[in-house]
Formats: sequence, C-alpha cells, structure tokens
Amino acid sequence: MVKKILSYCYIYIILLFLYLPVLYLMVYSFTAAELAGQWQGFSLQLYADLFTNKEIMVALGNTLILAAISSLVSTVVGTLGAIGVYYCKKGFRTLIENVNQIPVVNAEIVLAMSLTVMFVFLGQNFFGGSSLFSFWTLLAGHCVLATPFVYLNVKPKLQQMDPALYEAAMDLGCSPTKALHKVVVPQIMPGILSGLLLSFTLSLDDFIVTAFTRGPGLLSGQAQIETLSTLVQAKIKKGAVPPEMRALTTIIFLIVLAIVVIYSIKVNAKNKDGLGKHAKRRATK
Amino acid sequence: MEKLQGKSESSFIIQMKNVTKIFDGTTVIDKMNLNIRKGEFVTILGPSGCGKSTTLRMIAGFEIPTSGDILLNGKDITTIPPYRRPVNTVFQHYALFPNLDVYDNVAFGLRNKKIPMPLTDKEGKPVMKVDKAKAKDLKRQIRRIRHDKIINKEEKEQRLEELQSRLQEVLQTPVQAFKFRHLTEQEIDDRVVHALSVVDLDELEDRDISTLSGGQQQRVAIARAITCEPLILLLDEPLGALDLKMRKDMQLELKEMHKRLGITFIYVTHDQEEALTMSDTIIVMNDGVIQQIGTPEEIYNEPQNAFVADFIGSSNIYNATVIAPKKVRFLNHVYDCLDDFPVNERVDVIVRPEDVHLSDTPKENYIQGRISAKVFKGIHYQYVIMIGHDELLAQSIKDFDQEKPIYLDIRPDGIHLMKRANDLNVYTDSYIGKDHRVYIDDAPFDCDLSCLFATSTVDEDGIVTYDKKRYDFANADVIATIDPRALQISDDTSEANITGEVITAVYKGDHYLILVRTENEEDFFVATPYTFNPGDIVGLTVRKEDIKLKLKGEIEDYEI
Repeated sequence: MVKKILSYCYIYIILLFLYLPVLYLMVYSFTAAELAGQWQGFSLQLYADLFTNKEIMVALGNTLILAAISSLVSTVVGTLGAIGVYYCKKGFRTLIENVNQIPVVNAEIVLAMSLTVMFVFLGQNFFGGSSLFSFWTLLAGHCVLATPFVYLNVKPKLQQMDPALYEAAMDLGCSPTKALHKVVVPQIMPGILSGLLLSFTLSLDDFIVTAFTRGPGLLSGQAQIETLSTLVQAKIKKGAVPPEMRALTTIIFLIVLAIVVIYSIKVNAKNKDGLGKHAKRRATK
Repeated sequence: MEKLQGKSESSFIIQMKNVTKIFDGTTVIDKMNLNIRKGEFVTILGPSGCGKSTTLRMIAGFEIPTSGDILLNGKDITTIPPYRRPVNTVFQHYALFPNLDVYDNVAFGLRNKKIPMPLTDKEGKPVMKVDKAKAKDLKRQIRRIRHDKIINKEEKEQRLEELQSRLQEVLQTPVQAFKFRHLTEQEIDDRVVHALSVVDLDELEDRDISTLSGGQQQRVAIARAITCEPLILLLDEPLGALDLKMRKDMQLELKEMHKRLGITFIYVTHDQEEALTMSDTIIVMNDGVIQQIGTPEEIYNEPQNAFVADFIGSSNIYNATVIAPKKVRFLNHVYDCLDDFPVNERVDVIVRPEDVHLSDTPKENYIQGRISAKVFKGIHYQYVIMIGHDELLAQSIKDFDQEKPIYLDIRPDGIHLMKRANDLNVYTDSYIGKDHRVYIDDAPFDCDLSCLFATSTVDEDGIVTYDKKRYDFANADVIATIDPRALQISDDTSEANITGEVITAVYKGDHYLILVRTENEEDFFVATPYTFNPGDIVGLTVRKEDIKLKLKGEIEDYEI
C-alpha cells in the first residue's frame, strides 16, 4: 500500500516539475506587470498588447511561415528518402543510415557554421560575390536540420510493414507509384505525421541555425528576418523579456495541448455504429 | 507442321522455356523448362530454398528471369510487370491491407481494374492509333535479351532482329485505339459480394483485418485474389500459418474451389502430403532443377530418383546392383523386380514401408531381421528393423514384439529401381600448386603425388621420381577424384580443407548421402553415418592418400 502511494507520488512529482513552470507562466500572463513574478491584479492587457505589438507579430508570422514550409519540405524529402533507402540494396542502405546518424548526433552549432561557410563560398564563387543570405538560405538550413529526424520517424514504420503488401498491391493492378500511395503511405502515415510535427517544432524553436543562416526577407522586408527565438534573444541582450511573450507562450501551449487532446480522442473513438459501412451504403441506394 | 505445333501448345497456359534465375551470383533456377496445362491444379513441391517460390514469383512478375522466356497462352510475358498480368497471388502471410476492412480489401483489385472501350470519333468511326504500350513492351523485351549473357550469340541476334522488326511493324501500323473506364460501384459491389460468398465470409465485410482469425484472413486473401477473375491463381504456401485441423479443411475447400472456378491453380508448398491431396500434377523441385513432373500417383509410386523418393512419403532407399535381367541385389539378398535395367548397373532401389511383408515365423524367401524400434501410429505400427547394418522402415497392422527376430519379404511390385545420380566426386579443373598440393575448387588439399604413376616415389620437396627421371608437377592440370566415403564431414569448419552448405541429405539404409556445395558452386558428395540438415554449414576433410589424381597432358612437359 505504502509502496503504491510512493510510486504514485513519484509520478506526480515528476509531472509537477514538468508542468509547474508552464502553469506559473500561464498565471502570470494574466497580469500586466513588466517583470514576471509580480502580481498586479488580473488583467488581459498583455494579450491586447501582444496583438498590437508589431515586432512580435512579425516575428510570429515569420516563425510560422518558416516552420510550415520547412516542415512540409523536410517531411516530403525525409519520407521519400526513407522509402527509397528501404528498397535499396543492403550495402547502400547501411551507408545511408550511418550518414543520416551524423546530423542527428552532431552539435547544431557545427551544422550552422558549416552552412554559413558554404553559403558564403557559393555566393562568392558562383553568384558574383553577392550575399546569398535570405529566406531561402534560412529555409535550407531548417530543412537540413529536420530531414534526418523525419527519416528516423518514418524508417521504423517501414520496417514494421509487411514487405509483401507492396507486392500485393502490384499484384492487384497498382502501378509502382499507385501502390506506394495506396498501400505504403497509409501504412507509414503515423511515422510521417510524427515526423511532420517534430520538424515543425524543431523549426519553431530553433535559434542557432536561424541566427547563422537568416537574411532579409519574409515579413521583415528589407531587414534581417526575425523569428521568435531571435527576437527574444535580441530583447534579452538589451533588458528583460517583453511581457507580451508570456501571453504568446501561453497561447502556444494551449494550442499544442488542444492538438494533443483532439488527436488522442480521435484515435480512441472508433466507429461504433450499428449498421456496417458497406451495408449502409447499399441500403441508401 | 506449324499449325499442329500451335494447336498442341495452345493447351498450355504457362510455358517456361530455359528459364534461369541468378541472384548475386547464385543460381536459384537452372535452365528450367515447364509447361502447365489450362485448368489444372499444379503443385510445385520442394524443400525450402529449392527455387519453388522464385518460380512462382517469376510467373507473378515480381522477378524477371536472368535468361529464358515465360509464355502465357503462347504470348511472351517475361518482362510484363505484375500489375498487367492476368494472374493473382495468395501470399504466404496473406499480405492483407491492414488499413482497409474486409470489403475494401476484396474490392482493391476491382477498383484498379480498367475496362477497355473502343475509341470512336464524333462520327462514330473507330479511332486508329499506334499501340504505344505494345511498343514499350517490345522495347523492354529487346533490352532484356540484349543483357542476357546466357543464351548464345546467334540466337540472341536472331531474336533481337525478330523483335526489332516486330517493333517497327507496331510503330508503323495504327490499330483500334481504346479508352478505359473504371468499374462502377455497382459492378464492384456485385463481384465483391459474390467473392465473399465463395469463401463464406458474407457476414464479415465490415470487419477490420486485425479482428479476423487466421483462417478468416486466409479466406479474405483468396477472395481478394479471385475477384479480378485471373487466368491463374498463384498460391504461395497459403496454409503454412494455419493449424493442422484448419489446414486439412482448407485443403479440401481449395480443391473444391478449383473445381468451381475452373481456373488454373499453381500452388507452392514444402508439405508433400498437401501436394498429394490436392494436385492434378506435382512438380518436384530441388536445387533449382525440376526432379520430376507427374500425377500424385506417379510421383509416389514411381519416383525418378532418390531425392524424390526420399522427399515424398517415407521410404527405404538402398544402393543396389542389377545382377541379372529383372534381378537386383540389396540387403545382401537377391530380389525379383519389375523394372528392367542393364545388368551390372548400379542403381538406387526404393521400398515403401507398406510394401514390406512381415512375419514372426520363418518363411520361404523371407530374410531375418531384428526390430529395433516400434511406434504405434493409430491404424498401424511402424517398425525400424535392423538387417545387418542396414535399417529398414516397415509398417504392419500386426503387433510384433520388439528386440525379437522378425522375418520379412519384399515382393517385385514393391521394389522400384531408379537410375543412380552420379555420386562420384570428380574434379576436372584441379591443378597442382607450387606447394605441391592439389587445388580443388581453389582450396588446397594435401595429396600424394606418387599416385599419379604407379611405382613412382615423391621426395620432401614434392619432386616425383618415376622411371629414374625427375618431375616437378607444379602448375600441372589434373583430374582429382575422391570417393564419397573418404570425405570426412564435420560441423567444425576451422580445420577443414573446404567448407560448404548442405544441399540435400538422403538416407540409404546405413548411411546418409549428403550433397555439399561450396561457395564457388562446386559439389561434393559425402557418405556419412551422421545426419546433417540442408542449410548446415559444414567442413570437409580428406586424407591425402584418398585423393586420386590423373595428369592432364603429357608427363614429358614436367621433366626437370
């Protein structure tokens, strides 16, 4: 009995440590104080300020656009790569898998530095000395960062799949491309989705690669692209974190929470209808 | 003449001509020729790794032969991809689509099916176009034959020329063009419902695949394969994952289904009983080669060689010698037999356990043995009888005491003679190395060079003295011969002369005859009292005096 209570306590303490800071932040997003930790009475002022603060809104827009595009690109590239490598000969497959490990375990700063050096080199030698740094270099940086993670998410799903499924689809009249999208892709969809989410979050809170590869563009116009992470960093250099950020992070947390809850409800809720799908369709005719 | 040939060939739905398949340097199918008649239930039977699944996969289109042709109704389909062959497969582990329910699994093939409709212009005249798909197929065929390294040059050129001219013809003559339509939902529904009723699954159309039992999944897989109305249904060990009782039921049901559907079934299995139960024709394969084709009765009663006899049913196989017309000697006794083989020919003899007549009292012509083991099998007893050093398997409904003398006879109709496969190890590509050892299959063996010539002697440096002249045989080409009984076989490969994989093992009364194949595809026959299984990696050793050598070329060339 005591053991049971202790084991529950253990879990709850860990959960508390994980969520207490977030809870603290959320509570203090409902007060207008400059510094977190001071309570100046309930107010929605920070939320109002947030949506009128042009700097933050631009950074938020940039971040979301970048995260959306880079996660889509890296999901497509990573998924196709995983499928391609899966159907490769063994020697080549091992080689690719080992090469793919390096960016994952590598320090991000190394990746960021090497990308910078490469862009500078390319700009000087192939683009007449002009600077390449723009939204495109930033996008490339984020894709390079996220693609190996997508690959790692999709690969186990492919390995779990019965390899005969692809052949069965071909046997039943699917061309290779059709077999891929009608049979293989649905099988590995959970891996693709988690790869997409992971690459989205990786891009969302990335700082190092962003700082090294960004240039002017997007909503920032002629100025350097600011994302949420670079903006916060720039602000910290001068003083405190802008209080509106508390409101923003609260909103982000709530959105993520909503996504997780909806997803798990959908997974658990199976079609518990009385009449079967096919019989029903026949009956309606 | 041509017409006649055309007619006789038209009864074959599948023809494989000189088909060879090589995977990474290993020959899996070796120059296979096979004809399968329309409407038959054909079983390809063989141990695992014999090439039976590869054969099926080539018919399905998942593998393209390295050389040779596959014809369907007389048309070359060797390079046609699987999705354009009128052939469907029931996979070993069913390969049902887990994201779809039963109905959608069965409807899968129908949703991909396209019905050709003659294309007409506004005035109702047929539209004529060059058949691009056919041209593409011909181009693919040309490419395949160009890359074929096995067929000879003249044949290759002749066939390429023929294909090129056909390609030109196709490219220059427009034919009726077609447009394609999908099946309507109603058509699909009718056919799915029908297929589900064929396999007795009407009630389960909305179920998820994961909620079905093994037997039900099996039925869905069959329904899915037959909805597209294939000309041939391929079944790759489909009952392997079911329990015994279910398997027996399914065997009968499949046989029944074959009768009802009237299409050709090609069934692959390693289970000989399954093959005997269901097939019209059995093709026994081993080691990439067809061993025998025949009806179940022919295969069982008249096996063509020791492998088939050993693989089908239980049997006694012995080395025997024909001593007079229709008289054969084995088990130290002379028996009359029905097969006529040349006198003095060394043959394999096979006796089925049920053809051995037993008696506990001495009778005329009966030989004596001793029961060493006895197993009750339900309707009969199975006995292992020792006759000298030889073991004999026998069946009887009578209960005899163990460890007591038993008398037995084999009647002429119970004795089947077979030509013995060459079981001598002769290596014509061997040579003597600089170290004066013989290299067989590029592996060095210690040998006694003085066996090249009687009365010759050999010194420590490997120099042979014969007739007072000295010879150095380094780099000489020789023919090496090793008696199967002289080879020692062992699991321990560290000290072996050469290592290889066990391909077959046949029990012959008092020893196993084992075929060991090395990495370079050189075969060694080994006679041993110990049992090894196909697939085992073994080492072979041989004493140097047991290697017999014969010089190729003239002895004078090696004088020093």
